Amino acid sequence: MSRVTTTPSGKTSTASPRATRGGQGKPLLSIRDFKVEYRTGAGATVQAVRGVDLDLFPGESLALVGESGCGKTTFGLGLLRLLPRLGHASGKVTFNRSDGTEIDVLGLDGKDLRQFRWRDAAMVFQGAMNAFNPVLKIRAHMHDTMRAHTKAGKQEIEDRASELLRLVRLEPSRVLDCYPHELSGGMRQRVLIAMSLLLEPEVLILDEPTTALDILTQRSVVDVLHEVRERLGFSMIFISHDLSLAAELADRVATMYAGRIIETGGVRDMFYRPRHPYTLGLIKAVPPIVGDLPDMESIPGGPPSLAALPKGCTFSPRCKFATEECKEEDPALIPITDEPGDAHEAACIHWKQVHLEREVPSDLGNAS
Amino acid sequence: MTEATIPVTSIGTTGVSRFAGIMRSLRRSPAGFIGFVIVGLMVLITAIVPFFLPEVAPNVKEILLPAGSPGHLLGTDNEGKDVLIQMIGGGRTVIFVGFVAAAISTALAIVLGSLAAYLGGWVDSVVVTLSDVFLTVPQIVLLAVLGAFFRLDSPILLALLVGGLSWPVLTRAVRAQVFSLKEREFVEAARLLDLGTIRVVFVEILPNMASFILMNFMIGVTNAIYQLVGLYLLGLAPLTGSNWGIMLNRAWIAGAIFNDASLAWILSPVVAIILLLLGLVMMTRSLEEILNPRLRDR
Amino acid sequence: MSGAVDTSAAKLIEGPAVEPRPSAAKRFLNAWLVRRLFKAVLTIFIVTTGTFFLVRLLPGNPVETYIQTQIAQTGISYEAAAAQAQNLFSLDPDAPLLSQYGTYMLNLLHGDFGNSVLSPGTTVAEVIKTYLPWTLFSVGVATVFSFVIGIVAGMIMAYRRESWVDHLLTSIGSLLHAIPNYILAILIVVFLGVKLQLFNLTEARGSYTPGVEPSFSLSFLNDIFYHATLPILAYALTTVGSWALVMKSSTVETLGEDYVTVARARGLSDSRIRSGYVGRNAVLPLFSQLAVSLGFVVGGSIFVERIFGYQGIGFSLFNAVNGRDYPVLQGIFLVVTISVVVANLAADLLYSQLDPRIRVGGEGEK
Repeated sequence: MSRVTTTPSGKTSTASPRATRGGQGKPLLSIRDFKVEYRTGAGATVQAVRGVDLDLFPGESLALVGESGCGKTTFGLGLLRLLPRLGHASGKVTFNRSDGTEIDVLGLDGKDLRQFRWRDAAMVFQGAMNAFNPVLKIRAHMHDTMRAHTKAGKQEIEDRASELLRLVRLEPSRVLDCYPHELSGGMRQRVLIAMSLLLEPEVLILDEPTTALDILTQRSVVDVLHEVRERLGFSMIFISHDLSLAAELADRVATMYAGRIIETGGVRDMFYRPRHPYTLGLIKAVPPIVGDLPDMESIPGGPPSLAALPKGCTFSPRCKFATEECKEEDPALIPITDEPGDAHEAACIHWKQVHLEREVPSDLGNAS
Repeated sequence: MTEATIPVTSIGTTGVSRFAGIMRSLRRSPAGFIGFVIVGLMVLITAIVPFFLPEVAPNVKEILLPAGSPGHLLGTDNEGKDVLIQMIGGGRTVIFVGFVAAAISTALAIVLGSLAAYLGGWVDSVVVTLSDVFLTVPQIVLLAVLGAFFRLDSPILLALLVGGLSWPVLTRAVRAQVFSLKEREFVEAARLLDLGTIRVVFVEILPNMASFILMNFMIGVTNAIYQLVGLYLLGLAPLTGSNWGIMLNRAWIAGAIFNDASLAWILSPVVAIILLLLGLVMMTRSLEEILNPRLRDR
Repeated sequence: MSGAVDTSAAKLIEGPAVEPRPSAAKRFLNAWLVRRLFKAVLTIFIVTTGTFFLVRLLPGNPVETYIQTQIAQTGISYEAAAAQAQNLFSLDPDAPLLSQYGTYMLNLLHGDFGNSVLSPGTTVAEVIKTYLPWTLFSVGVATVFSFVIGIVAGMIMAYRRESWVDHLLTSIGSLLHAIPNYILAILIVVFLGVKLQLFNLTEARGSYTPGVEPSFSLSFLNDIFYHATLPILAYALTTVGSWALVMKSSTVETLGEDYVTVARARGLSDSRIRSGYVGRNAVLPLFSQLAVSLGFVVGGSIFVERIFGYQGIGFSLFNAVNGRDYPVLQGIFLVVTISVVVANLAADLLYSQLDPRIRVGGEGEK
């Protein structure tokens, strides 16, 4: 397989750290009406993901933001077909590889599915604490991964793994011989990132990459992600509840609530001009670093149980803009702007009333 | 041979509701229910029916009759005594001693285990070391040796011996549970109220382990019966009267295995023992599944 | 938006965040294995001391009984009887307790366990030497078989949870677990030997055909395996059920671990995941059970060997119990315990090789 080389394969590196304005060419990952339901014994089912439409373009970084229990982790697992026994995914997920082939992810089986996983799309899991086999050294993990997909020889694997470990700022000669329990949490997270890039996937999905890490380690992991993206130029979906992470790493942001995406847009639009009350609430719940402390508002109440969703718009019980009309129907995503690749959509019939009023000192206006 | 730990959700707070809870859970698991029925039936039958049966008497004229002979459904043994009557009457001692022995070892284990966990320090170290030693020594061998050294005249002595040697496994389990429960808030609260060690252990901690203790008690009965019948088979327990263990011993010595006609004689205590143990094991497994939900086939 | 932190690469290349590995000697002293060794020695010590005091101190203890019996039966004086007892039990009833203890321990260390009452002229050590290897052989082979088959069955049951295979194997396993070993042995004799005539029971008695010269030839090996088949079958059947059930629950738990999901995400083949990720980890907790199981099976030899007429240590133990041959009893008890302790240690050693979390330093759970 020609993908195994000892130097980064000089992919289309994006000229600026921010995404190509999509709409040019086909999206890398095209998700339509993606649903995930769980069987909960006694014949009942719960819909954890209730119809997601999403496009991911090459080189783009998308943040999926939401509270715990909104279905974002399930979404990530479902994309790679890693749901537990009781879970079932449906819809259409199309992966357009750079060599032109089109893969129907949900229709993959057996060997094709195994090849797709990690080679085309890799996932860095939440809490790398337990992501490694405790009885195998890191070196063995790397070997296993590459041998499952290629016929690379031992030395080739060593070289490739070492190169990637250096990329995530780890010293290969010391890390490769370690067992997982001998590494700290932050190091394990970075090893996992390195391992995920072994086959140069075009999409990397990260689930809460910095949760459970201390602040300093978080910083180093984020920096590593920046660097690695610059060098290799893959697309990234990262799932998090941490808004600041989204602000740093994302080109586009999608907020998820009760199993659906309720707003999506470019990162600037989302942070300065959110149009869904939930997004507004999330942003207002975090104090800004500069400027006066605005009136902080938290969102009253808690997320609904997926087994007993409110009628109509699922956010309406907690929404200060809610009217009777909201309880009738769960709104679809309404386009707000339509700049190609930077489309801003929100699932709220009152979006025009949603404003973020915050003084933004002008010298911050050029946030890169 | 297995240990289980409990999640904290399972148990009700008052005695009655707890018992009802256990009964309800047993009913939900078909295997457990069947086991319960089997054990219950056997206990009832072996306890009550013998009162209505004639004394079993040796009859030289009817030695070693095969099963199905007139008047003797399961045949007779080498002294002419009816096998069926012996089989029904033979459970009482075995079940009684089994339960008493299990009760003794459970009580010992509870006391030692909880005190060791609660008091910690040297008490704990001593208990742990002792139970480790006992666990390592093959119990049957120890039992055989002690049985040979001392004469075991009565069922009570038997129960004492068997029960006195079986405490280690449950002790460790109790100790582990008490350790984990010790850190929980209601124990903290009781301690702050200065309620005294005994009270805290017996009133606050142990009731929360009721199902767990019950399960281990049943495992204890299983082990006790195993050891008890083994002792009879070795000829170390008093061979007067007739119970399943004695039947086995006499049948074996008389070579009943090799004689087609007397197969019923040696197989009836075998079947009886298997049935009883099976019932107990089924109950134990379903209790275990209740306590450890991950094992549940849902 | 490059961060405020200086991200120059040179500064941040790191290695493992562990202290440098301590020197080899220190590691050895700290090692978990050494602590197990110490514990093993302590156990043996406690058992031998306990046996001593059991034999000597309790009322109706065998030594006194023996002396009294001798006096009653043969009318010899107390001193003569005591002398005989001393010879037999290798202790002096009149010497102060502590010195008796000292002599006892010293003798033990020299391999002197006393002399047999039932077979005068034979030392206990000789009895043990003749019979112990056979039991170790049969129990050992049976345990290996039972463990391996149990592990495979357990994994099958876990992978096919709730299928008919699982239900069937679980039922069989529970059934086998419930049946005591002597009962199983009796059933084997009845059904395999008498009813189905698969084995000629009289021929199969004994550990090898009498008259055959022990050697390392194939025919001799054949012979001893033939004779050991039934006991091995009995031991294996009794324990395979519980191995399978425990392995099943351990495998089910391992299947739920994150690293298994990650392994699937990495596109590893099912067979690789099954052997290297699930199997390897699921089997680890079983090793702590191996110790208990060995002790139990060795204990069971007292019944099984008698039922099949296999001449191992259980067989001689049974005879000693029947004949109240106290020195032999005591000696066998000690030796069996020591064997089990050593076997436990071996199992611990194996475990420490398999689980890297245990090896370095004093950490890791039992």
